[in-house]
Amino acid sequence: MRKIFPAEDLARDGRFRRARMEDRFEDPRTKLAPPERRARKLTPERPDAAHAARQMMHGIFVGEIQALEGAGRTVWDFDDDEAPFALKLDMARQCWDEARHTEISVKLGEHMGTEIGEFAETTFLYQASCNPDPVLRLTGVNRALEGLAIDVFNTMREFGEACGDPVLTFCEDWMLADEVTHVKMGSDWLRRLTEQDPERRERALEFQRVVDKLFSFRGFRGEGEENPIQLARTFRRMAGFDDTEIDEIAEASKEDVAAAG
Amino acid sequence: MADPHEPRSPFAPWDRRELPGLFTVEESARRVGHYAWIEMRLFEALGGWVATVPELDVKTMLGRHCYHHAWHAELWVKRLPELREMRPERLVKAPNADLEAFVAAMTEPEAPELTIEKLVGVYRVLLPRKIGAYTYHLAATSRITDAPTMRSLGFILEDETTDWREGEMVLQSLIQTDDEVQRAARRQAELETLMNRAGGIAGPGSLGQPSPHDLPAKDSRVGAA
Repeated sequence: MRKIFPAEDLARDGRFRRARMEDRFEDPRTKLAPPERRARKLTPERPDAAHAARQMMHGIFVGEIQALEGAGRTVWDFDDDEAPFALKLDMARQCWDEARHTEISVKLGEHMGTEIGEFAETTFLYQASCNPDPVLRLTGVNRALEGLAIDVFNTMREFGEACGDPVLTFCEDWMLADEVTHVKMGSDWLRRLTEQDPERRERALEFQRVVDKLFSFRGFRGEGEENPIQLARTFRRMAGFDDTEIDEIAEASKEDVAAAG
Repeated sequence: MADPHEPRSPFAPWDRRELPGLFTVEESARRVGHYAWIEMRLFEALGGWVATVPELDVKTMLGRHCYHHAWHAELWVKRLPELREMRPERLVKAPNADLEAFVAAMTEPEAPELTIEKLVGVYRVLLPRKIGAYTYHLAATSRITDAPTMRSLGFILEDETTDWREGEMVLQSLIQTDDEVQRAARRQAELETLMNRAGGIAGPGSLGQPSPHDLPAKDSRVGAA
């Protein structure tokens, strides 16, 4: 088995459909939609709430599979001199967590009325976990992507509460606890591995900013009514983000919304 | 109630543990180092394979088992300093080149249609060998002096047998045709040959008895040469 496994080779059964990120970003149905028809904060009052929630749950499901695959590859891709044993132990633990999240997401998807393959899968999340530098990979995955997962799970948890859906609320709350742990792992490893190498730390943080910006694309994530995913400040702080970092993500989102018109 | 001042034996009447065991501190440490090495190689391989298997139930099982073996590796690495090995990395190694060759062969399959080959290596060859070596250690070591190793062995064997059973059941559900039966059998024979040459996960003597390969006259490779 080779080291560094490309996203296009990710193994899937026949139900999955893959879409390219560029196609999704350039989709005229979202790109050219007038502001009043663009996705907004996920609330039960939205006319398309049920569909949007199912779509988001399917996105969580494929995201969990890719997070599982990414953590697994970090365990395999690096020799002991590139990634400390303790880091690999953390990633193995994350494999188990993501495997559980995959199982939870499948069951929640059924609970919400969607099925595997109803929506297309993009592999951007996994692509971020292909970085050949373990520090950049950890920062991109465990801080940017798992940070996004904190925002997504908190959004879905609040949506479950607003809908009066105890199953959704219960499961999202449990997954949220795991994600805070994963982000904290990323924050801790970034600090430990770059203690003597500020330049590498800056490269890693820059990589994180790039990944964060992509996930705030066109205001997908932010703090306003126009953002489908809400930035979860409290949980991000628990996971080791400082307020400056959170402010940067919020600001980038605002700029993206303004740029999109 | 009994008189609290009356002398009692330090061992309860049903406690039949004895002091003698077959392993010295050094021998226990040597074996534990080999256990740590094979657990590390296994959890790395399971993690790497997750992305390569299309079957969803296999993906999640590999993710779950990856952590089990990582935890076993952690237990063994932590045990080494307690066995007077202050540089654990010195002992965390394969017992011989044959076991390294086994691991290289076991981790070689990558293509998505090779799930059977991947799982046979782990669940029909390696895990049974691990269960054998760990069970032997549990039976042979001193139940009093080496109790911390035994405690870890107990937790680990519980995982190993549960994971082996799950992996074997998944394999049985994947093997549906005569050709697949043959594929699984061929793969098992290839890897079992390599494992047999290695003498088990702790090398010759993994199960206590001298390996046939310690006896040159009976070594088929010597005869073939």
